[in-house]
Amino acid sequence: MGLKRMIGRVAFALLVLGIVAWAVFPFAWAIVTSLKAGSALFTVEAWPSQPSLANYTAIFKEQPFGRNILNSLLAASSVVALSLGLAVLAAYALGRVRFRGRGLLLFVVLGVSMFPQVAVLSGLFELVRWLGLYNRIGSLVLSYLIFTLPFTVWVLTTFMRELPKELEEAAMVDGAGPFVIVTRVFLPLMGPALAATGLLAFIAAWNEFLFALTFTLTDDARTVPVAIALMSGASQYELPWGQIMAASVVVTVPLIGLVLLFQRRIVSGLTAGAVKG
Amino acid sequence: MAGVTLRGVRKSFGRIEVIHGVDLDVADGEFVAFVGPSGCGKSTLLRLIAGLEEPSGGDLSIGGQRVNDRPPAARGIAMVFQSYALYPHMTAYDNMAFGLTLSRTDKRTIAERVRAAARLLQIEDLLDRKPRDLSGGQRQRVAIGRAIVREPQVFLFDEPLSNLDAGLRVQMRLEIAKLKADLRATMIYVTHDQVEAMTLADRIVVLNAGRVEQAGTPLELYHRPRNRFVAGFIGSPAMNFLDVVSEGRADGSVRVWLPGGVPLDVAVGGAAPPAGAPLTLGVRPEHVGLADGGAGLVATILAVERLGGETHCHAALEDGQRLLVRLDGDRPVAAGERLRLNLRGETAHLFGPDGRRL
Amino acid sequence: MSDPQTPSLMHQRRRAAWLFLLPMLTVLAGVAGWPLFRTVFFSFTDATLATLDGFQGVGLDNYLWLLRDPVWWRAVWNTLLFTVVSVGIETTLGLGIALILNAHLPGRGLLRAAVLIPWAIPTVVSAQMWGWMFHDLYGVVNAILMGLGLIAEPRAWTADPDLALPVVIAVDVWKSTPFMALLILAALQMLPRDLYEAARVDGVHPVKVFFRITLPLIRPALMVAVLFRTLDALRVFDLMYVLTGNSRSTMSMSVYARQYLIDFQDVGYGSAAATLLVLVLAVATVLAVTLGRVRVDAGR
Ligand SMILES: Nc1ncnc2c1ncn2[C@@H]1O[C@H](COP(=O)(O)OP(=O)(O)O)[C@@H](O)[C@H]1O
Ligand SMILES: [Mg+2]
Repeated sequence: MGLKRMIGRVAFALLVLGIVAWAVFPFAWAIVTSLKAGSALFTVEAWPSQPSLANYTAIFKEQPFGRNILNSLLAASSVVALSLGLAVLAAYALGRVRFRGRGLLLFVVLGVSMFPQVAVLSGLFELVRWLGLYNRIGSLVLSYLIFTLPFTVWVLTTFMRELPKELEEAAMVDGAGPFVIVTRVFLPLMGPALAATGLLAFIAAWNEFLFALTFTLTDDARTVPVAIALMSGASQYELPWGQIMAASVVVTVPLIGLVLLFQRRIVSGLTAGAVKG
Repeated sequence: MAGVTLRGVRKSFGRIEVIHGVDLDVADGEFVAFVGPSGCGKSTLLRLIAGLEEPSGGDLSIGGQRVNDRPPAARGIAMVFQSYALYPHMTAYDNMAFGLTLSRTDKRTIAERVRAAARLLQIEDLLDRKPRDLSGGQRQRVAIGRAIVREPQVFLFDEPLSNLDAGLRVQMRLEIAKLKADLRATMIYVTHDQVEAMTLADRIVVLNAGRVEQAGTPLELYHRPRNRFVAGFIGSPAMNFLDVVSEGRADGSVRVWLPGGVPLDVAVGGAAPPAGAPLTLGVRPEHVGLADGGAGLVATILAVERLGGETHCHAALEDGQRLLVRLDGDRPVAAGERLRLNLRGETAHLFGPDGRRL
Repeated sequence: MSDPQTPSLMHQRRRAAWLFLLPMLTVLAGVAGWPLFRTVFFSFTDATLATLDGFQGVGLDNYLWLLRDPVWWRAVWNTLLFTVVSVGIETTLGLGIALILNAHLPGRGLLRAAVLIPWAIPTVVSAQMWGWMFHDLYGVVNAILMGLGLIAEPRAWTADPDLALPVVIAVDVWKSTPFMALLILAALQMLPRDLYEAARVDGVHPVKVFFRITLPLIRPALMVAVLFRTLDALRVFDLMYVLTGNSRSTMSMSVYARQYLIDFQDVGYGSAAATLLVLVLAVATVLAVTLGRVRVDAGR
């Protein structure tokens, strides 16, 4: 191996390492910080001299963080279930039936997913209040549909399109109507697609901030991102950084785990349809 | 059981018409094959019968009932697809039972029918497997089983064997022949493989560009093709066509001059063409003989293909027209040699300028 | 031809299609269409959060006030600057990372996994993490830069009006580059391999291959990815709100609109700002689709 190639390889390896470090460091630093209790927080050191889990116990004792997690879980899973249910039927119509206005509908669906969320804030606020959902999880399920529903419809439509036509025709010859085709022939084949789409929608809902910030008022009703953003300590002016980092680690570790586990699926889900130029 | 009748059936996709008014009668219990070049509309015609496409015009009846407006499941048909189209998440059993389950047939009847079909197709041991655990041939059997279980009046096959390798294809062909004898149902079978069509079908329908060129028994098509297209399409290797000039009529036959000044009298049915009219002479490679003496058509061998059982000689006549000659397998011939060929009027065909057989 | 009592198969399918679409469309109309309509409607009134059902029309007043408010123009400027700079950097870096990921080299799996981490982390969490790293007194960034001798004294990264927006951009780049990289990677992986082999056999320089072959081929996909990111960046809210609160030096249009809508309870005025944001997004989309010839389509 020539010297030039060698240097090239080393430089490349360093580059990759650099990118990895850049991607991972902030999270690693959050973990380190979360293990620092008391005044250790205010010294910059790579590993706390006396690692402590005090911050972790504090977020569940001093803050209603357990409740916040539950809220997020409830809101995200209900909105995902609802979106997938509505989207599977819609995706069949958009992906496999030719009818006038289909292109326009797809465009509208995509357009809605690109909406700035503040643009619907006042109207939604009115709706939420009118439905009596203010400061309740229901308001979040309702508002999150704005982005989870178009996304799931769009992605499932592209998946639906790829299913072989002859399969559907065989089912038609067997006497299956559209509903039976969707539920008993296509749905069982879309497991991976549903998982990927559902996971992405779940992450989006789990991470949502603006609606959660606006439609909830009390600490108990907050979701995880709002809780983390607004976490306050004993005094109003001193932010409890150790607890904030502990909370960040708690909600991020499962997310990262899921994402790494479903890497390939996620990449295919992200790119389905959206970027087939 | 029931026959199928098509009257002036047309089909357009958008502004393009791909089926131009097809009339066809398939008798009860008949096995009819649709053949034709790729894209000629075989599948479309079959799918029209199945109800998977809607005709743009004309009438379609099955068993004497007009079925234009009936969905596929209510037409008494079953279809076997080229790609098998088995439900991947169901076992072979469930694949076969699906249609009956949907029509709420009771479990015992379903089990009986599925087992009977499986026995017929010798796939009883495979019923618990999913399609991905089956070989191509086994999948095709399950697909056929799914059709049998429906107990249809008419079976529709769309190139069912074309995804199989050559050996398996021959085997499945024999099984379909057996099935045809066992079930005695009406069957319509699309294929681009004329051997399949010739061996299986009671009647062959030759399609070209959305029109029926000819419908008849395999031997009818072979011996009395209605036009040049059918003559060229049926038979393998394909028929030779030579440009010839007519001399006029003599006793129900036409005398034409072959290159090199050799005369040939060909029997014709209809009115004779005027003398001097340009015609096309069709001769099958297997009907070109070697002349004994010094007489006959002189040809130079361009290439020799030895298939073992037979030998194909590509030859050029004196005026450069090409001719394929089928000889015995062991005939000692070589490229560059000259042959003297013997054509017989009884096995030759004459086609007019419009391609129609005289 | 087809008889009216028994609708044809096509009709049945179409009817089923609309039936299947109905629930989805109803929900979308309810949660997106109607609220958007109300927002536009409110923007012509003096409604407040407390008086959502008792208000008066004020014509274009809200818009006229808005156009005369320097803070609004600052928010517009911040948003545009943020969008152009961060999307520009993210596209460039994303392209680089995607090329590395696409090359069959060791360390690829590790890199892909690492790059997914910023993407998986909620925006709020990443804002807090970086906020802590950029902390003026105890932040690791100050410590490292001072240790390296690059700065003499600690900086107030998020409070300094000159530094705050760059910091926000840096965090967005960290968070969103992976998304870009993955989308571009998907486009790269759809390119035919033999194209590259042919170029290699011909001895074309890799840089030339990139600009002459790769880039033109992935351009359509790249444009779609850039459009998506741009629309996303134009409506940015979380990052600024968490990192720097309602500070003017970083305030985006979304932050501005929400501040009036909720904090100041001035629904009429805030709705006008939100409506203008929608217009900006619509203009950006139209520009992208016409000038950049971006084609968005579900598959096919
Ligand atoms: N769904 C369709 N839309 C448009 N054109 C079609 C469609 N299906 C078939 N065609 C056209 O109709 C013609 C006949 O097709 P087909 O029946 O599949 O031919 P074959 O089965 O004989 O190869 C072809 O030219 C094909 O391109
Ligand atoms: Mg076909």
